[in-house]
Amino acid sequence: MEITVPALGEVEEVTVLQWLKGEGEEVEAGEAVVEVEADKAVFVVESPAAGRITRILIGAGDRARPGQPLAELQPP
Amino acid sequence: MKQVACADLGVVPYGEALLLQRRLQQLRREGRVPDLLLALQHPPVITVGRLGKPEHILAPPRVLAKLGVEVHWVERGGDVTYHGPGQLILYPIFDLREHGRDLRRFIASLEEVMLRVARAFGVEAHRHPGFPGIWLGLKKLGSVGVHVRGWVTMHGLALNVDLKPNLFPLIVPCGLHGVEAASLAEVASQPVSLEEAHRLAREAFSQVVGVELVPLDAEVLSKWSA
Repeated sequence: MEITVPALGEVEEVTVLQWLKGEGEEVEAGEAVVEVEADKAVFVVESPAAGRITRILIGAGDRARPGQPLAELQPP
Repeated sequence: MKQVACADLGVVPYGEALLLQRRLQQLRREGRVPDLLLALQHPPVITVGRLGKPEHILAPPRVLAKLGVEVHWVERGGDVTYHGPGQLILYPIFDLREHGRDLRRFIASLEEVMLRVARAFGVEAHRHPGFPGIWLGLKKLGSVGVHVRGWVTMHGLALNVDLKPNLFPLIVPCGLHGVEAASLAEVASQPVSLEEAHRLAREAFSQVVGVELVPLDAEVLSKWSA
């Protein structure tokens, strides 16, 4: 399972601002995991399910497109 | 037309307004309050968004302290900005799932509200692609910056109506060197009042976002914010 950049309407690209959770950390469904920014709007991406973040794919400062995976999530 | 409760809060210290917004954003996410619009002003304050750098505050701390200017590091998008007397502020606490789930359209709506207020005073401001806010050439007239959690917004727009004093020289606005701030009052060929600007902003917000604004009772708001 993956944590992806949500569809944000006409937004074509976001910048990853900061990870609130690190690799190896457990998260609950709906827990805030990463902040992304587009057009002076900070959007908090929440985990789609409970699990453990096994790998962060896009680091802080890098860009990603809606639908693109940001991290891999292993269900419990 | 969907109704949105609008609270006219007058002058509110930044920290107080921040706590109120965080509380209301949380309540909105839980579905315990409807969409809300907060209209207010701040005493002089510098705020730094998520992309802000300390060196974009040009004045040393002792100067800021002497001027009574607080500094707040906050969760909104963007870099450094200034808020103060004579600036119109709108903070929508909106669930964007009920407004098209479109971050860019929401930001564009906030810009459009400011463009319409400027136009009503005879000032043709414009957008700069890639640099959100509204502009007169290289002068910034209005700023946007929001934070969205669970699709619910906080922070919003700040339009320079009649800045007194204009303390933007204390910072590098938006982290953009060479950019200055302008007030509507400096560039309009007709008298500009903050009160009239607030009335126009509410009218424009209602038209642009497609909602009917109804006054929010101060007692109801204080119950929610308690």
